[in-house]
Amino acid sequence: MGAAGSKLEKALGDQFPEGERYFGLENFGNTCYCNSVLQALYFCVPFREQLLEYYADNKNIGDVEENLLTCLADLFTQISSQKKKTGVIAPKRFVQRLKKQNELFRSYMHQKEARAAKSDPGTSSPSEKTANGPKNAQANGVSKEPLVTWVHKNFQGILTNETRCLRCETVTARDETFFDLSLDIEQNSSITSCLKNFSSTETLNAEDKFFCDKCCSLQEAQKRMKIKKPPHILVIHLKRFKYIEQLGRYKKLSYRVVFPLELKLSNTVEDADSEYSLFAVVVHVGSGPNHGHYVSLVKSHNHWLFFDDENVEMIDESAVQTFFGSAQEYSSNTDHGYILFYESLASSDKS
Amino acid sequence: MINPSNGIMSPSSSSSANAQSPGLKTYFKTPEGRYKLHYEKTHPTGLLHYAHGKTVTQVTLAHLKDKPVPASATAPSSSFSAGGSVRSAAARFLSGSNGSRALSFVGGNGGSKSLSGSSRVGSLGASSSSNLVGSLSFDGKGTYLIFNVGDTIFISDLNSQDKDPIKALHFGNSNPVCHAFDPDAKDGHDLLIGLNSGDAYSVSLRQQLQDVGKKLVGAHHYNKDGCVNNSRCTSIAWLPGSDGTFIVAHADGNLYVYEKSKDGAGDSTFPVIKDQNQLSVSHARYSKSNPIARWHICQGSINSIAFSTDGAYIATVGRDGYLRVFDYLKEQLICGSKSYYGALLCCAWSVDGKYILTGGEDDLVQVWSMEDRKVVAWCEGHNSWVSGVAFDSYWSSPNSDGIGETVMYRFGSVGQDTQLLLWDLEMDEIVVPLRRSLPGGSPTFSTGSQSSHWDSSCPVGTLQPAPSMRDVPKLSPLVAHRVHTEPLSGLIFTQESVLTVCREGHIKVWMRPGFAESLSSNSETVLSTSLKEKPLLSGKIGSSSYKQ
Repeated sequence: MGAAGSKLEKALGDQFPEGERYFGLENFGNTCYCNSVLQALYFCVPFREQLLEYYADNKNIGDVEENLLTCLADLFTQISSQKKKTGVIAPKRFVQRLKKQNELFRSYMHQKEARAAKSDPGTSSPSEKTANGPKNAQANGVSKEPLVTWVHKNFQGILTNETRCLRCETVTARDETFFDLSLDIEQNSSITSCLKNFSSTETLNAEDKFFCDKCCSLQEAQKRMKIKKPPHILVIHLKRFKYIEQLGRYKKLSYRVVFPLELKLSNTVEDADSEYSLFAVVVHVGSGPNHGHYVSLVKSHNHWLFFDDENVEMIDESAVQTFFGSAQEYSSNTDHGYILFYESLASSDKS
Repeated sequence: MINPSNGIMSPSSSSSANAQSPGLKTYFKTPEGRYKLHYEKTHPTGLLHYAHGKTVTQVTLAHLKDKPVPASATAPSSSFSAGGSVRSAAARFLSGSNGSRALSFVGGNGGSKSLSGSSRVGSLGASSSSNLVGSLSFDGKGTYLIFNVGDTIFISDLNSQDKDPIKALHFGNSNPVCHAFDPDAKDGHDLLIGLNSGDAYSVSLRQQLQDVGKKLVGAHHYNKDGCVNNSRCTSIAWLPGSDGTFIVAHADGNLYVYEKSKDGAGDSTFPVIKDQNQLSVSHARYSKSNPIARWHICQGSINSIAFSTDGAYIATVGRDGYLRVFDYLKEQLICGSKSYYGALLCCAWSVDGKYILTGGEDDLVQVWSMEDRKVVAWCEGHNSWVSGVAFDSYWSSPNSDGIGETVMYRFGSVGQDTQLLLWDLEMDEIVVPLRRSLPGGSPTFSTGSQSSHWDSSCPVGTLQPAPSMRDVPKLSPLVAHRVHTEPLSGLIFTQESVLTVCREGHIKVWMRPGFAESLSSNSETVLSTSLKEKPLLSGKIGSSSYKQ
C-alpha cells in the first residue's frame, strides 16, 4: 500500500491534483471486473459528484435503508475523504451488497433495462458470471431509486428505430432509451466504423420480414437505428465475446479496434457535431472468455492512470493505444479495450 | 467525383466486399487499368518477435545518383528532384551494372528492371570506372527503400526482385522511428534518421551501402542522448533547397531546426515554454549551437511534418487534431484547422503547393486548400484511422492536355483498415459548395467562378475550429483495395508504381498500368518509356518521394 502509493505520488509530484484520491481496490476473488468498472464510474466526475452530494444529504436525513446506491455512495465517500492521497481500499460492503442483490435479482426476468447503465457484458461473457452478475444488480439498485433521474441524466440516450415498409413506404419510428451501445466489431476497424455499421440500413426480408401495420401483413422493409438523443456519458461496449456456433461455445475476438480519444457521433440525428472525450476504458486481459482479468484505464486531470485491483500506476496517454487489440489472430498481446466511457464536452445542461 | 451527401454508396463498395474474403488479390483495377503487385520487400524472417509492435514501420524512397554528380545536368527539371527525373537520369548512366549478391548489395539498377538477375551480373569494376572518387568499388547508383523495423533500419533495392533487404543497420539503445532522404545533398550526408530516444543522425546512404558492418558509419549525431529534447522523434524532414537544414519533430509538441554542417558542440538550451498551448519560436543564443532554433507548436505530439515543394511552407499535424501551416522563413502561422475529431496522423502537399492532404483518427482524408484557406473536401471510405496520404504527382489527368480544362488531382491514402484508397479531385466541382445548406439537404454545387462564400472568413494566422459535417463536401474513393493483412502506415507514389507499407514492416510495390506490361519485355523499353514520358510530366515532377 505504502510503497505503491508513494511511487504514484512521486510520479505525479507537485502535479498531484488538488483534492483527488487515487486508491486501488482490493480483490475479493473474481471481483476485478467489478473493481475496474467502479474505478471508471468513480472517475466519471459528474456521476461521482452527484453521488457524493446524495450521500451527504442522506446522512443528514438519517437512516435510509441500505441499498446498492447507498453502498456505492458510501464507497465513493470513503475514497474521497481519505487523508492519504493514494492507497488501497476494500470495497467490502459494496461487494457484499452486490452479491446479495445479485441473488435477489437473479429471479427477475427483465434485466435488460437494468443491465444497461453500466454496459454489462453478462450476455456475452458467460464465464465472468460472478463478476458480471453484480453489475446487473448494481444497475438495478440504482435505477430503483427515486434519484433515478440523475443516473438517467448522465447515462441515458434515446435511439430511434426506423423501419420503412418497402411496399407502402410508411416509416415506423420507435424510440427506445439506452444506457450503452453494444457494437459488433470487425478486424482492423475503428469505433467510428463500428458506429457507422450500427446505424447502417438493414434490409428485412425472407425469413425476417417486418409486420407492417398499414399493409396488415409481413413485408420487406428497411431498418435503421439512429441516435436521437446522445447521452451525456456515452458507454460503448465492444462485443468481444462471440458465440461461435460451430464450436458451441464463446470465443474472444481479439480484433484490433482503434478508438480515438475524441469522438463525434456523425450518425446521430441531431447535434451530430457535439464532441465526446474518452475518460475511461475497461480492459479485458486474456485470450479466451473462460479466464482472464479486468483492469481499467482512467483519465483524471489530464493524466492517464492504470488501475489493476490494488495497484494504481500512471501511464502515458500514448500507452492507451496498446489496448486496441491485435491485427493477427494469435498474438501475445491479450489486453483489449472492452468498455469505453466517453463524456460529452458540451455543457451538461444542454438539452 | 463528389458526393453531395453522406448517404451515397461509394463506387468501391464492391471491391471492399472482395476485401472481406480471405486472401489478398495481387492486382486492383482503376479506370486507367490494372495495378499489379510486382515486388514485396520485408525484413528478414528471423526477426525477433519482441521487436514487433513496438515501432511503426515508415518507408523512405532514396534515389542515389551517379557520383560525382553529372546527373544533375541531365535532370534539370527540378532543383529538388525526386522520383522520375533522377531515375531516368541514373538509368542513362548505367547500362546494367548489377552488383554481386555475394557482397550483400546490389548496385546500379536505375531503370533496368531485369527480372532475370542472372543476365545482368556485371563486374563491379566496370561500373566504378566512372567513379572519380576512386577507392570505392561500389557506385551506389539506384533506388532504395529505407525502412525501420524494431531497432533496425533496413535498406532494400527497389528494383530487385529480392524480398530481403541488402543492408541492415542496428541501433543498440533506441529504435529508429522516422527518416528522410535528400537526393540533392552536396556533401554526401543525405539520409536523416530520428530515434525513439529523441536522438537524430545524418549519414551518407552511399557510405552505409559501401560498408560491410551493421552499424552506422560516418554519422553525425544530434541531440545526443536526448540532451536537448528527450521525447520521441515523430517526423524528420530536409528543408528543400537548403542543402543541410533539417527539422525534427518530437512527441512533446516541439520541432527543432538543425544544420548538418554544424557539429553541435555549442550550448543549445532554450527558454522554458511558458504556455504549452502557445506557439513560440526561439533561436539558439550562440552561432555554433545546433539545433539553431526550437519551435513550440502545440500541446501533445506533433505526428507528422511536411514541407511544400519549394520549402516556403511547412505543415504540421498532431495530437490536438490541428493542421498548421507556417511560413518557414517568417516563422509565422499562416492558417490551419482542426480535424473533425481526434488526432491527425499524416499530411502531404500537392506538388504545386495548392493543397494539403491530412488523415487522422476520424477516418477521414481531408483536403485543405491553401488558396481558400479552408477544408474543401472530406474523403469518406476508410474503416479505420488514416495513416498515410500522398498526391500522385506522376499522374496526369485525361484532360490535362487541353488548356483551361478542369484541373484534376489524383491522390491516395492508406489506413489501419489495411486498405489503399485512390481518389480523384476535380477542382471546379469542389471549390464552391454553398456553405449553408439545409439540414438533411444536400449541399449544392455551382460551377464557374470562385464564390464569395469562401472569402473573408479567416484572417491570416488563425486556426479554424472543426467544420460541421454538413458544411464540407464529401468525396468517395475511386478505388478501395485491401492490400495487406496488417494495418498500413504509409504509401509512396513513384513514376512506375505505388508503394504501400504496413506497420509491421512489409512493403508492396504495385506497378502502374502500362508499366507492368513493359516489364516483361526488355529493360531498354522501360528506359525509353520513362524518358519519353518525362516531358509530359514536366512541372509535375516533385516531392512525392520526399515525404511519404
